[in-house]
Amino acid sequence: MKEQKISSYSSISTLSIVQMRGVSASYDSKNLVLKDVTLNVQRGTNYAIVGVSGSGKSTLLKLMNGMMSPSKGIVLYNYQKPSLKNKSFKKSISKIGYIPQTLGLVKNMSVMDNIMIGALPRINGFNSFFKIYPEEEIKKAHDVLKLVGIDGKADRKVYMLSGGEKRRVAIARALMQKPDILLADEIVSELDSVTAREVMDVIHDAQKQLNLTAIMIHHDMNLALEYANRVAVIKEGEKILEIGVEGERIVDFQTGDLTQEEILEMYNES
Amino acid sequence: MNPKNNLLIGVIIAVVIVTSFDVGVEPIAFFEGLPNLGIVAKEMTEFELEHWETAFWSMLETIEMAFIGTIAGVAISLPLSLFAARNLSSKFVYVPLRALLAATRTFPSILWAILFVIVVGLGPFAGILAITLYTVGFISKLQYESIEAIDFDPVEATTAIGLSKLQLIRYVIIPESAPHLLSQILYMFDYNVRQTSILGIVGAGGIGFYIINYIKFFEYGKVAVFMLVVLAAVLVIDWASVKIRDKYIMKAQHGTQLKIKKLTL
Repeated sequence: MKEQKISSYSSISTLSIVQMRGVSASYDSKNLVLKDVTLNVQRGTNYAIVGVSGSGKSTLLKLMNGMMSPSKGIVLYNYQKPSLKNKSFKKSISKIGYIPQTLGLVKNMSVMDNIMIGALPRINGFNSFFKIYPEEEIKKAHDVLKLVGIDGKADRKVYMLSGGEKRRVAIARALMQKPDILLADEIVSELDSVTAREVMDVIHDAQKQLNLTAIMIHHDMNLALEYANRVAVIKEGEKILEIGVEGERIVDFQTGDLTQEEILEMYNES
Repeated sequence: MNPKNNLLIGVIIAVVIVTSFDVGVEPIAFFEGLPNLGIVAKEMTEFELEHWETAFWSMLETIEMAFIGTIAGVAISLPLSLFAARNLSSKFVYVPLRALLAATRTFPSILWAILFVIVVGLGPFAGILAITLYTVGFISKLQYESIEAIDFDPVEATTAIGLSKLQLIRYVIIPESAPHLLSQILYMFDYNVRQTSILGIVGAGGIGFYIINYIKFFEYGKVAVFMLVVLAAVLVIDWASVKIRDKYIMKAQHGTQLKIKKLTL
């Protein structure tokens, strides 16, 4: 019985969760932020998107959760068009854990209230208005806080927390969504390297425990190679490279195997 | 100091002189009349302290009126400010609503008090209605401005989770604009106490009723007692609101730049 469950899981995991074909996007109809990007993210992958600032990485994530629409090409999330106008997608949006670069936490609210925002689509209007949280959601919240390592700080106001703790709250809020996927935009870029790795480990653990797909944007190629099993490099709105990472081995899908040094060299040149 | 500035200052001074002639400013009359002020001042120092009790109770009534008016006004303002915020509402709602709110602020509360005396008769209730109306006009304006200035990031992040509009208001808009709200309420209460102190002049309750009547009958010794009580009350409220401000209004850093961006809900 248990084996059957696992095998059915693995058959799902071969399916794509995010697909992009020939996608271009712009904010002002003049300058394209993304040019003809094609990518395919399989379920269960830890996918990293790397690039310098202004290369269009954040736009990629906003296309995936329907916060933006492409000007050309096709974006599919779970075989649906991501748009807030699309009714069938609107149901799945509550299960897309999205962490913007600014985190988007409500500073004057407690950690508990902030992470409950992730559960609000499951709580009815009256109860959510008076902050009457169902018992199972409170239990879930404590489990999630334990998982991200800030269980003792549920009643703290968010503005009192450190940078690393704020990121843990944002992760917890995303996990409260019971997500299928985690989209995180440069979540550790502003942290020192020790704290950055702590936060990355939290995500990595959660991902393994909950069988999540993660698409994470990074500034730092080393970090991407360390945690992801697939890395796409974006430069000036174009995808210039996509590599697979299996332990020490790195596979370029155009040229074959590469060493980590070669990748870093290529990345630094670009 | 460049010539342009000198010219500007010259023009302003000229305008002050011309308009002064226009409205009949007479500095000589002021100096000739100064001895009268001395007489009043002398009479005022002859306190009739036995009136302090009346003064105290009427001041208490004044503060109660201001309190009720402030709270009722704020309660009405909160939902109104949501409808008047440009980033939450449609043009067809916020334009007329803002015009209406501006109208309530146009006239000082004493004029509204006269109106409400006609409607509900003499007494504190008319004053409370006037204070409430003025508070609605004022707090709504301050509140919709602070809603328009809130941090857009949490709005974007929570929209991407798929919250309903009501949930977004409850969990993001209200908490993000709340720190301003508390200081606005304190400021408004402070202001309303001063306003309510003079509403008695038109018979709308409060300590002003006594002050105006004793002035009419030249009983400056009594007037002085009432004015001192007002002064003491205002000082105490001022002190208390500073304490409350320090204790509860956190120094959370807010982006103060006003950027109007339509929130997609």
